[in-house]
Amino acid sequence: MEPLKPERKREIFEASPAATPQEIAEYEALLAERFTVDPDLPRGPEMLKLRQRKSERLKELQRKLFPETEAEASEEGMT
Amino acid sequence: MADSNPVIKVLKAGDSTKPDPFTIAIIANPALEAPWNTGQFVLDPITFDPKAFDAAAQYICDVLFGRLANQGEQFLADPAIAPKIRVVSLFVEDLNAEDANSLAAQDTDSNLLIARRTVFSPFLQRYGLEADVAYAVSESTKHTRASAWYTSDDDARGGVPFQLDGVSLFHRYYCRIPGTVAIHANATSMTALHEFGHALSSYSNGMVVDLYVDSGPALNCKTGRPIPPKFAIYDTAQNASDPKRDSLGYPSGWKSYHCEMIDPGFPALMDDYWQAPDHIPEHSRHDRITRQFLSDRVRAKIAR
Repeated sequence: MEPLKPERKREIFEASPAATPQEIAEYEALLAERFTVDPDLPRGPEMLKLRQRKSERLKELQRKLFPETEAEASEEGMT
Repeated sequence: MADSNPVIKVLKAGDSTKPDPFTIAIIANPALEAPWNTGQFVLDPITFDPKAFDAAAQYICDVLFGRLANQGEQFLADPAIAPKIRVVSLFVEDLNAEDANSLAAQDTDSNLLIARRTVFSPFLQRYGLEADVAYAVSESTKHTRASAWYTSDDDARGGVPFQLDGVSLFHRYYCRIPGTVAIHANATSMTALHEFGHALSSYSNGMVVDLYVDSGPALNCKTGRPIPPKFAIYDTAQNASDPKRDSLGYPSGWKSYHCEMIDPGFPALMDDYWQAPDHIPEHSRHDRITRQFLSDRVRAKIAR
């Protein structure tokens, strides 16, 4: 996964002044982790629950870090 | 619409003595799944922009073989390796926006492009092509960030054995699913080579993970504190840990640590290469174990 460019990080803080570097790091880690799980492997119920929790946290962080994306998605009826 | 007009360009011929030389395919993504996992498809703007696709394919080929200005990482340019690698590009117009023609998706949680990994091989086969690693080039208007899936090796077939900290693994000759990359036509600098590092590596025989997040254990990453002086034994070679994370430093809360750098003055190529202290990301190189692992993996595949 391509690392975030420095200008993109600056844009995040401009658009979302309450964002913290720790939240960006957590968001990036959750995104990157998705690729490390072999999509072919069967997943048990516990794994699926964990995946769901991580997915919800990812969406929560996205809403905070990228409010403009959330607004666009709402306009397009994608939320 | 019929697949009547594929434009296949051989950017590097590779080893013509082999029936199946190690091959990297660069494909103009016909259709985007937007959003990912919804089954909704739209035509990718790259299908109307062959010039942008050709420029992107040339960029990918250039960075793979160490040809960017100031580029430090040259492992594929090794004269024992480079001539053996085949690189082809594929551009097809007028395909329908449908599942079988969609090699990349737009993520719902980010501006990542995501490779639809299982579609690549059947798509390439329609044009008589196969690949070990494949790139889908998109010109999505909003999703511009590249990502990659690791290779799913064919562990039922042969390979070159190696040891990682006493565990027996293989550089497999063949894959079940190639390593796949989704990348934007405007990608620059080390991005295509960074993603190649992921895509060439393997779910079952060693993953090369991102080092700019606090990743879990992998070929190029371990976890624990304090950081031990020894990182890993790869075959018979002892690799040291990077105690300081080159020029970037480990954040205080991290548990992960990395292998020693070949050039500690710059971030590792699988790390945040945008943060090169001289603002020249092309100076980034792989750390020691990643470079050896990827080189050995390519050597195994070109020798099959």
